[in-house]
Amino acid sequence: MALILMLLAPGAVGLWLVTGGRALAPATARVVALVAAAIGGGAAVVASVMRPVIDRAWITDLGVRWHFEIDGISAPLIVLTAVIGILVVGHAWVERPWESPGAGSAATYLGSLLLVITGALAAFAARDAVLFFIAFEVVLVPMWVLIGRYGDPHSAAKRADASARFILYTAIGSTLMLVGILLLVARAGTADLGALPRAAAGLGSGEQVLIALLLTIGLAVKVPVFPLHTWLPAAHTTAPTAGSVLLAAVLLKLGTYGLVRLPVATVPDGFGRIAPVLAIAGAIGVIWGGLICLVERDLKRLIAFSSVAHMGFVVLALTSGSEIGLQAALLGNIAHGVISALLFVIVGGLKQRWGSVDLAVVRPALREVSPRLGFALVLGLAAGLGLPGLAGFWGEFLALVAAWNPVHHTGILRTCAVIAAVGAALAAAYALRVARIVWVGDEVTADAVDQAADTRGIELAVIATLAVAVVAIGVGPFLVLDVTADAVATLVGGAR
Amino acid sequence: MSALWVSSLLVLIPVLAALLTLGLRRTPHLAARVASGAAIVSVVVGIIGMAVAPTRNQRTAQPSDTFHVGDLEMPLALGSGPTTAAVAAIVALVAAVVLVFTQWYLDDDDRLAQFAATVSLFTAAMMLVVHARDLVLTLIGWEVMGWCSYLLIGHWSRKESARRAAYKSFIVTRVADIGFVLGIVGLSAGAGSTGLDAVVSHWTGEGGAVPEPWTRSVLLALVVIGVLGKSAQFPFQDWLPDAMEGPTPASALIHAATMVAAGTVVLAQLFPVLVLADGARWLLGIAVAMTMVGAAALALGQSDLKRLLAWSTVSQVAIMLSALATATEAIGPDPGLFHLWSHAIFKSLLFLTIGWLSVVAGSTLAMALRGSGHVHQLALVAWLFGLLALAGAPFVVGGLSKEHVIVTAYEGAIGSGGPGVVVLAALLVTVVLTAAYATRAYLVVAAPDGERSVSTRSHAVGDETAAHELDETAVLEEQHDHSGMPSAPVLASLALLTVLTVVGGLVMLTGLFNLHRASMWWMLLTALLIGIGAGVVWLARGYGDPRNAFVRTVRQRTLADNGFGFDTAYRRLVAGPVLWLARIVEFLDREVVDGYVRGAAASAGIAGWLTDRGHRREAPSAGVGLVALGLIVAAGTAVLTWR
Repeated sequence: MALILMLLAPGAVGLWLVTGGRALAPATARVVALVAAAIGGGAAVVASVMRPVIDRAWITDLGVRWHFEIDGISAPLIVLTAVIGILVVGHAWVERPWESPGAGSAATYLGSLLLVITGALAAFAARDAVLFFIAFEVVLVPMWVLIGRYGDPHSAAKRADASARFILYTAIGSTLMLVGILLLVARAGTADLGALPRAAAGLGSGEQVLIALLLTIGLAVKVPVFPLHTWLPAAHTTAPTAGSVLLAAVLLKLGTYGLVRLPVATVPDGFGRIAPVLAIAGAIGVIWGGLICLVERDLKRLIAFSSVAHMGFVVLALTSGSEIGLQAALLGNIAHGVISALLFVIVGGLKQRWGSVDLAVVRPALREVSPRLGFALVLGLAAGLGLPGLAGFWGEFLALVAAWNPVHHTGILRTCAVIAAVGAALAAAYALRVARIVWVGDEVTADAVDQAADTRGIELAVIATLAVAVVAIGVGPFLVLDVTADAVATLVGGAR
Repeated sequence: MSALWVSSLLVLIPVLAALLTLGLRRTPHLAARVASGAAIVSVVVGIIGMAVAPTRNQRTAQPSDTFHVGDLEMPLALGSGPTTAAVAAIVALVAAVVLVFTQWYLDDDDRLAQFAATVSLFTAAMMLVVHARDLVLTLIGWEVMGWCSYLLIGHWSRKESARRAAYKSFIVTRVADIGFVLGIVGLSAGAGSTGLDAVVSHWTGEGGAVPEPWTRSVLLALVVIGVLGKSAQFPFQDWLPDAMEGPTPASALIHAATMVAAGTVVLAQLFPVLVLADGARWLLGIAVAMTMVGAAALALGQSDLKRLLAWSTVSQVAIMLSALATATEAIGPDPGLFHLWSHAIFKSLLFLTIGWLSVVAGSTLAMALRGSGHVHQLALVAWLFGLLALAGAPFVVGGLSKEHVIVTAYEGAIGSGGPGVVVLAALLVTVVLTAAYATRAYLVVAAPDGERSVSTRSHAVGDETAAHELDETAVLEEQHDHSGMPSAPVLASLALLTVLTVVGGLVMLTGLFNLHRASMWWMLLTALLIGIGAGVVWLARGYGDPRNAFVRTVRQRTLADNGFGFDTAYRRLVAGPVLWLARIVEFLDREVVDGYVRGAAASAGIAGWLTDRGHRREAPSAGVGLVALGLIVAAGTAVLTWR
């Protein structure tokens, strides 16, 4: 019941908003969307606790089933998606992208948000490989609409480029993944994610490597892993704030979640073979993202590149193949979701106030003119550089521990751990670079105050929720680790 | 109250105080008072902690639920011990004194509450490092301290110099922390646990399997690199003098009892492993030997007395660490920790005194501070005893502890293969230099200067008696007149620190530090060396500032004030190349990595055009062509592999 409600409420309302209810007045549409997101979110939280199961036959010829179930690995992600869903819809009171020229209606915008959330929730809950793929694809089109029609109002060409790049890139990734899934399902004879690991264990090593390769490349686009990341900065810079938040906090998580569910769980031997390459790509991503952040001028792009760096840690943890590694990856995933959501809300707010977020332009220091927003920004930056007591630290620390003692390829992974640790110092350098430019500065005259009014009302509520989550995960990482522990142990145990 | 309760309380009280203070930021004076009140409670708890401290060889880690992440155990336990209790008490005392001083010093600052909250959090982090029996907790405290120091140094963020100093301090220490983090990761991963006891027993080979000595040395060396960064040792030393941009109370806290001393605490905790890791000891020994001499020489040449104190800290911390680098297993880490203890007392005294004098003189430049000591009898006495301790004069607290360090280095030099000889030589040179710059600092401040008319107020009565009432009377009256006279609680704190500087060595009688007898011969020798250093400067007093006798040309002065130009070296050798690399990477990302994407987009466009030709209908969007192609490939593969 909770599962059905979780998918049906935002899904149905979202569909209605983009079709029948397109002409709905913004004020009404917002309330409708918020109610739908809240019902869906509430149901998602209930479902994560109760863990109900839906299992119906669907395409019997292919053995594909309509199978939803939540376990320890997906529960934190479902809760994250539900909370982010409510926050992004609530954020429609703060930023109204439908008002810019050339954009569609408010209802379409809100409907697209709801559809992205529905797709993500379905993907996290799906226990059937083909169903997972379909849910995964459902997310793309509404996201494309969000970027293409409601993105940066300054440049239509940039919007078109970013949205086309997004759809093209992720569609290629999805296609490769689909090939991998079909190959896997066909060879193993089942599409049930629970049964796949055992069924796929008998595959030959060549086949395992091929399947792992297809699945990993396909999903690596979504994560994104260096060098498949270039769609991300463009998409983030152009997307409206809510779109950026969804991208960072939900879509990227689909990639890592998919990596855990598909190649790591089902073809561990094949994945083990390609793990060193992936680890190196992850470590390069950490350095690459960090270096670009040192010179990037656009703050939104900078946060996007920092995402590439953080996801590098997550990928590195995954490739270790150990239980700590998986735990670190899942925790790092959640932490990055919360931190980058916080940063994008703040930076989106700044862009709205300032018109652009070019770091080369001298602006009044946030610490002086809008202390609350400044505090939140510094909190987000501190979390991003991995300050203990905030969300980012645990995932990165455990990722390094995992990479130090991996199951295979100790030498390569230790080298990658060293590189990633250097990247953590780069994170400090760029985070404080942003703080030095945006947060602190000379005292300014009173007339500059209007340019950056302090955050209040709904924006403050959204920021505060995310900030509390950042601190909560940082102080009590075992809130997440305990939920994932058993499922991870089964997953790694089943693989051996 | 058991010792473990004390350790939990000492960590928790400042955390709660920080939160409460931040919550009260709209009433800054009340907030600062709350923070000081909590800090004074911490002092009381710390003193109780010294009384109930467990004796040596008692296992004192908290029995707690061990957390597991995969195969990794995380006990996340706090613990206590005799030296832990003593160090914690002095940290609590310095924090309390600093907060009391802050209320007077930053009375009219609009961010007083934020400052007090940060100081409290900083103290909590240091307490966590001191009491941690788990390397993850150590790392947490370590990093949080770094962050708080960033906030404190950059407190006056309207000044570009303060912003730069804060940035520099965090980045330099964070770069060194690459080593620290990797060292901790390696040590924990090897032991399968982050618990200190498990790590130590694994890497000392107690647990059965003897670890590879090479790995052990490398991991410890990585930890040592982190320590060198946080403790401002060569080659990371240059952030500390710049950190003088922070308000003086922040400097007192960072220098006396927390940040720079944390490395000593951590290495003392890991001492059983360190003593076996020869490579790490050599690294530590060479780095601190270079630092202590170089920093002492720089201190002599500074034109700013606050920076003189900063360099003296660098040199003194090197002395603490040198005890750890040279100590044999039998001597243990306690001489180093004892020097930490005494340094905390006299360095906080010196910093707070110069904070007071700088308010009087309006600057921390030696030129401006000339003769400023005559503002108050207490100022002059405090400055004199602080400097005596710094120079290591016999019987005051700094002298006693330095004596133990020298004996430790001597034992190390004759007893084991470590870097003892090098360190011992450096120590003896440093003793001379330290006496020289301490004498200079005294001569400048105490100069009988007729030109300056310093208003001496008749406020000196009863300061010594007030000292004893400090703990009970948390009554902090609002007596701020910024003509240069501190409030009564500040004077009381200074008096208390002065008394402790004289009699603090009595802590040896409590047996909390495990110290061996100092030798009479070494004491005589050091007294002689101090006499030489002080005498040379004394002879040069005719120059006005005795420094002018040693640092004659403008060029030499600039070199000294710039710390031998290390800032330029950091910029040219590290920051420059990294930024250069960053620009290259950005170019590659835009033109090469993204190039194939644009290529793909172009080919999709061509595909779309072809499809368009074929269908003669509306143009499909760029991606659809490729998606269709992909689906055909997918379907084909599926069909081919279907059985």
